[in-house]
Amino acid sequence: MTTMNTTTEAAVSKPAKLTSKQLPKATPWIVAVASIIVAIVISLIAFGGFNIPVVAVLAGLINAIAVFAVSASYEGRRKAVDRIATTIVTSTFVLACVPLISLLWLTVSKGGAAISGDLLTRTMLGMKGVLDQQYVAGEATLAGGFYHAIVGTVLITLAACVISIPIGVLTAIYLVEYSNKNRLGKAITFLVDVMTGIPSIVAGLFAFALFSTIANVLLPGAAGIAKTGFTAAVALSVLMIPIVVRNTEEILRLVPMDLREASYALGVPKWKTIVKIVLPTSVSGILSGVTIAIARVIGETAPIMVTAGFAKTLNWNLFSGWMSTLPTFIYDSQLRPVSPGAAALASSERAWAAALVLVALVMVLNLLARIIAKVLAPKAGR
Amino acid sequence: MKGIFVKMKHLAPSAAILAVGAITLSACGGQSATGEEASGGSSDLQGTLTGIGASSQKAAMDAWTADFTSQNSGVTVNYSPDGSGAGREQFLAGNAQFAGSDAHLDDDEVKAGEEACGADGAYEFPVYISPIAVTFNVKGVDELNLSPETIAKIFKGDITNWNDKAIKADNPDAELPDLKITAVHRADDSGTTENFAEYLKATAEKDWDAEVDGNFPKEYGGEAAQGTDGVIQTVSDTDGAIGYADASAVGELSTAKVKVGDEFVELSPEAATKVVDASEKVEGRSEGDLAFDLARDTTESGAYPIVLVSYHLVCSSYKDQETVDMVKAWEKFVVSEEGQKSAADSAGSAPLSDDLRKQIEEVIDSIKVEG
Repeated sequence: MTTMNTTTEAAVSKPAKLTSKQLPKATPWIVAVASIIVAIVISLIAFGGFNIPVVAVLAGLINAIAVFAVSASYEGRRKAVDRIATTIVTSTFVLACVPLISLLWLTVSKGGAAISGDLLTRTMLGMKGVLDQQYVAGEATLAGGFYHAIVGTVLITLAACVISIPIGVLTAIYLVEYSNKNRLGKAITFLVDVMTGIPSIVAGLFAFALFSTIANVLLPGAAGIAKTGFTAAVALSVLMIPIVVRNTEEILRLVPMDLREASYALGVPKWKTIVKIVLPTSVSGILSGVTIAIARVIGETAPIMVTAGFAKTLNWNLFSGWMSTLPTFIYDSQLRPVSPGAAALASSERAWAAALVLVALVMVLNLLARIIAKVLAPKAGR
Repeated sequence: MKGIFVKMKHLAPSAAILAVGAITLSACGGQSATGEEASGGSSDLQGTLTGIGASSQKAAMDAWTADFTSQNSGVTVNYSPDGSGAGREQFLAGNAQFAGSDAHLDDDEVKAGEEACGADGAYEFPVYISPIAVTFNVKGVDELNLSPETIAKIFKGDITNWNDKAIKADNPDAELPDLKITAVHRADDSGTTENFAEYLKATAEKDWDAEVDGNFPKEYGGEAAQGTDGVIQTVSDTDGAIGYADASAVGELSTAKVKVGDEFVELSPEAATKVVDASEKVEGRSEGDLAFDLARDTTESGAYPIVLVSYHLVCSSYKDQETVDMVKAWEKFVVSEEGQKSAADSAGSAPLSDDLRKQIEEVIDSIKVEG
């Protein structure tokens, strides 16, 4: 009798278990906030003060344990394991954001404090240590600026785009539309993969070696004239081309085969199909791929140092004379200040301001890529 | 294709923003560092001078370039501080019109110079003298005398307390505390370390048995700090610290007097200049080669022997008159009283003596067109 009773009870209560016993939605957040507070308290007591890294690590651990404990006691083991997986994934995401946010914060706070219209419109022409010493002593405003570096960055990057976008896009078209995975196609894919792994300084040395050899043949004993903005642009395109090829290739492969076949069925030749069907369909993806490639090379320091030198003055000519870009300007200011000693602070401030401009430039480019992709994207159901 | 054109219309605003940005970029800007228009200058020199070399000269080079280009607005002077070795190599390969170097050419390089610069080879002369201070931070002690042997023992780690007998012997009148010595040295490869070690090797060889190198000998221990600023920072923060750094960076810290002969010499630009004047030229070099074997162990009264001397290297002849005129004008400005004063103000270097300047100017005057 008793045994029968229990079995029926069990059978009745089983379906009810599926929906019952669930923590309210806000619980994980409450637990998270509580564990942060506990972590702060522990840090204050055990570590003698508020210490952000200690608090963060402690809060993460306490949160994971607390979530498991709360959930296990109320919802059961299965759900607790699921919750702890969610917690770990979210915690690692937050962890990944930490460097980005702290970098942005540092750049904005330090660069924002230093930046001014003067810095944006002046060059380092006539800059000397005395001016920085006066600034640090509070007798003058911050002299110097990086207008020449902004111009250099824009010109060199533009030239690199002019070289690498046609080469990259056409290579990708060959790979997708023409190669049919033949030997040449495979060889190109392999070489592009190898190129992706080239360290940027090697690209710089390659470009400099190439142009100084050419200069030496044309004008013996004048290899020095090879240090120009154009040489830097070639070095950057070595880095840019593989990225453009890779991105464009992926996008072109996404174009449905049906579109091409429909075009061929109407008697349109292959080249016309590519120009009028394939490229327009994928143009937004190609452009955003290109923008990513630009954002990748605009911050390069090493290849520019080798190929374009450190100019202090404005130079609009890509083909003659040294050029500065924002990264090389930052590097040079921070490492070799105009005035050593206490007044090196002024050089450091200029470097932070330049870093802010560079970060803003990259962000604007990424934003532009998003906008372009959105505007040019084919409308669904067309 | 029509679709594309329609889409292009949407792009027009962003294109317009880009265009406006480009126009603003080109319209405003390009002023000099102080925002004043370049004053022009009376000379009619035109062209670009390229130099590669020691980063120790960079601050002085900035000052020279600023003043020189304000007087000769047609000339652009580029200087890439890639290091002394890179500078000599690139100069001898013909990639630069002049080079800056913390060390003078060795015999092989002199021969290479004859190939690169014609029969008379390359000229070299000191342009930048920077005293290296032995700086300390001990509460209640403002003045300190140190003999080379004591300095070597301190940085080697043999003397570990400020009340050591050896330090007392150098400072009979000072009240030295019972305090641990923290010897601070450069963590990175640097010309300052090399010159400091060279001085100790020449004056206290018995105690300083490590090789002379840009890197501080690891086996000697002590506190390592990154860069000149790092050394100064560590010394100012630590009671009982002692370190070495370019005199220009020392600021408020006290500097030790160094024993030369029988007296203790205080660091000063004049004293640093004196040691160069007391040094002998390197033997077997041409007349245009003003390379010095620095007399680190000089007993000359009032000379301060811990200095870094940096040279400029130029060719004895260049291909065209324009380059010759530019190099002459540039180097003459660098060694001139005005140029040396400008570097002293901006970079804290010690000016050249009048006697040495005369010798250098003679060398510069003999630069000529090839053939």
